[in-house]
Amino acid sequence: MQAAKGKKKNVVSRLMEARAADSHVGIALVLLLLIVLQTLVLGFDFGSFGQWFSAWFRNWINILRNNAGVGIVALGMTFVIITGGIDLAVGSTLVATGAVIMTLIDTGAGGVLGLLGITGVPAYVMAIVLALVMGYVLGTGIGLLITKGRIAPFIATLGAMKIFRSVTQHFMQGYNPRVPRDFLQISNLQIGGLMFMPIVYWAIIAIVLHYISKRTTFGRQVIAVGSNERAAQLSGVNVNRVKTRVYSLMGVLVSIAAIVQVARIGSMDYANAGSGMEMDAIAATVVGGTSMAGGRGTILGTFMGMLIIAVMNNLLNLFGVPPFLREAFKGLIVVLAVLLQRKQRT
Amino acid sequence: MIEMKSITKSFGTNVVLKDVSITIKGGEICALIGENGAGKSTLMNILGGVHQMDSGEIFIDSQRVRFDTPAQSLGAGIAFIHQELNLINDLPIFENMFVGRELKDKRGRLDLTSMFKATEDIFERMDIKLDPGTMVRDLDASYKQIVEICRAIMMDASVIIMDEPTTSLTEPEIKRVFHMMRTLRDQGVGIIFISHKLGEVMEVCQRYVVLRDGKLVAEGDVADVTTDDLTRFMVGHAIRIEKLTRTQRIGQEILRLENFTHARSFREISLSVREGEILGVTGLLGDGRSALFQTVFGADRALSGKMFLGGEEVKVTSTEQALQMGIGYLPRNRKENGILKDMNVLENASIVTWPLFAKRGVIDTDRHGKVFKSQQRELDITLQSFKDAINTLSGGNQQKVVLAKWLAANPRLLILDNPTQGVDVGAKEEIYEIILKLAEEGMAVVVLSSEAQEIIRLCDRALVMYHGQIQGEVLDTTMTEHEIMRLATGGIVEAV
Repeated sequence: MQAAKGKKKNVVSRLMEARAADSHVGIALVLLLLIVLQTLVLGFDFGSFGQWFSAWFRNWINILRNNAGVGIVALGMTFVIITGGIDLAVGSTLVATGAVIMTLIDTGAGGVLGLLGITGVPAYVMAIVLALVMGYVLGTGIGLLITKGRIAPFIATLGAMKIFRSVTQHFMQGYNPRVPRDFLQISNLQIGGLMFMPIVYWAIIAIVLHYISKRTTFGRQVIAVGSNERAAQLSGVNVNRVKTRVYSLMGVLVSIAAIVQVARIGSMDYANAGSGMEMDAIAATVVGGTSMAGGRGTILGTFMGMLIIAVMNNLLNLFGVPPFLREAFKGLIVVLAVLLQRKQRT
Repeated sequence: MIEMKSITKSFGTNVVLKDVSITIKGGEICALIGENGAGKSTLMNILGGVHQMDSGEIFIDSQRVRFDTPAQSLGAGIAFIHQELNLINDLPIFENMFVGRELKDKRGRLDLTSMFKATEDIFERMDIKLDPGTMVRDLDASYKQIVEICRAIMMDASVIIMDEPTTSLTEPEIKRVFHMMRTLRDQGVGIIFISHKLGEVMEVCQRYVVLRDGKLVAEGDVADVTTDDLTRFMVGHAIRIEKLTRTQRIGQEILRLENFTHARSFREISLSVREGEILGVTGLLGDGRSALFQTVFGADRALSGKMFLGGEEVKVTSTEQALQMGIGYLPRNRKENGILKDMNVLENASIVTWPLFAKRGVIDTDRHGKVFKSQQRELDITLQSFKDAINTLSGGNQQKVVLAKWLAANPRLLILDNPTQGVDVGAKEEIYEIILKLAEEGMAVVVLSSEAQEIIRLCDRALVMYHGQIQGEVLDTTMTEHEIMRLATGGIVEAV
């Protein structure tokens, strides 16, 4: 009797261990549960499966496309948080790089490239490259403030958040660039009647970052620095460079999100675009199992974390929850996710 | 007067105090000395109520007492001043004096005036010229110590335990603290002075008590002994431990330091290490040897002085650069400095060589796996799977993994800081053998250790550091525990 009891306990504890070792299982289960729920709410109908599936699929394309921008930013945020840092400036970097693109490709009187006589695809390529460079420069600047300037990431990025947005707003006031129609194809290209380019970008970036995180020296050094900065340094890791690069990467990813967003709606509200984006990105990262203390976190986890939040939003919408209450649910799910992960670990 | 009678204490199966009896009288300063691990701290922690004894008795003025908590001990008039001071930097002195038992007026507001006045009174009594309104942050280390002592006096302490109070102090600061100690003694307070520095013991103490391996081995009046006697008591007989032998082929000079100086930790260090040589660097806690070699490794910057590697002058500004130049550093305190707790065994064993083996930034996992597999056999590391979390391994195996990551990089100069810390006897011998083999293969090895026996067994010669400077060099016949301890406690090299 006693032995049987002991054995039973053993099996349970082994199961718990297996779950703790592979932290994705829990997240995947939650995601699956939400998807099933969402499917049921949409009204699963065997009779006209084709029609039902088409509606379900379209709904999903919408969900993913609407979250692609934040999703891309959340992937970068994962690296930042793994090193024990945080980046509050992503929303402001988004409008700053967005403004750069718009100014470059404007078809009106103020368009920089237009004035130089560059139009069409060459102009778009140049604008995109310059936007990426801009994101890189802003991100690197933040990274250097944190590493060389020894300013806490929270403070450095809080400062950058204020500066970037305010400067952008100042220079862009009273100026309404017109984005050429062709440029909008970057996000709005339709294939088979579906607009899914942003999802493709998001997926490609996720795969590349997943590979970087798992297989490259940089990716593993990021984990090492977050796990034990001193031990990493004493293992010959250039901690400052790793950290700076993480913010540079964040800047580049934000500029990609900016390109996707500009190309999607053809305009940008410099006062409000991207505000709160940092919190959504952090929420996705945390729900995805990344530890705010650093050292733990995966790209796959964050990707699923973003999906959980997205499906959650969709569900609240379908249930007809009043808009003001929706944020409360978002908050709830973040807190719950962290609680669950702590339970698993102990 | 405090009497501790027949105190015995063990942690698990490890007996740290065996039947120790000591007496501390008011109005005297008593030195408590012994090597690291002799049981000094445990004995004082029992008196301070931090640990509970297994058997034995404590009497205060012939009254039997028992301390289950530090608060009870403090209540009985025993103040324990730890090495890490217990002051709040952002409060002025007079508020620090009353932290946790602030004086309040009738309406529950802080009575700053009374607290200020009381502090002033105590300073006057102790003959200290210090403004009670000064922020603690602005005090130097000695005044912080003094403030803490004054706080103990204010709480009517009759016995004050001072745990190596002079470690982080400069010469004039030490004089200041000693002056304070003498003032207290003259006012009838008993002081227990834990120290490694025998010169200071001779200067300020009246009595001494020596512990070795948890036993009381000697006590008496300081006036009757010399520092040499005390050293002998501490290490037992001046036996020379059998030296490990190897075929030596000392080659070219690898590292040379000239007047290497750091802002605080070390000054004017000049040394040289050759191919195939094992150089020991030893001393007591806080002698600056770790800081010195972490600076050589690029984890910190030197203020002045020159460093030569393979005959060329170099400036190492990062650990990454040091690694590329062929310098390796196995850190002390494995848990804080060596282990990446979120990564698996293989990753912990290969982090150093990631950039060296990588192809276009991609980690060559296969190669790391192969290298570690052969290392696992060579170093005899017991483990289940390379993918296991690092903290599933025993301390000895963890240490070997940390060592493995440096061996994989095959450095020209390998610095080993406390390489056998927290490692059991068997693994210790294995690590010694690995170190000897490395030297035989022509690597220049520096072993930092506070264990004299380790230095004697392993090293060809050793430098003894004291207060951030090289106090002397020992080799051949002078390489004895006695001589090392003498130098480490501030003794000077005898003219031969």
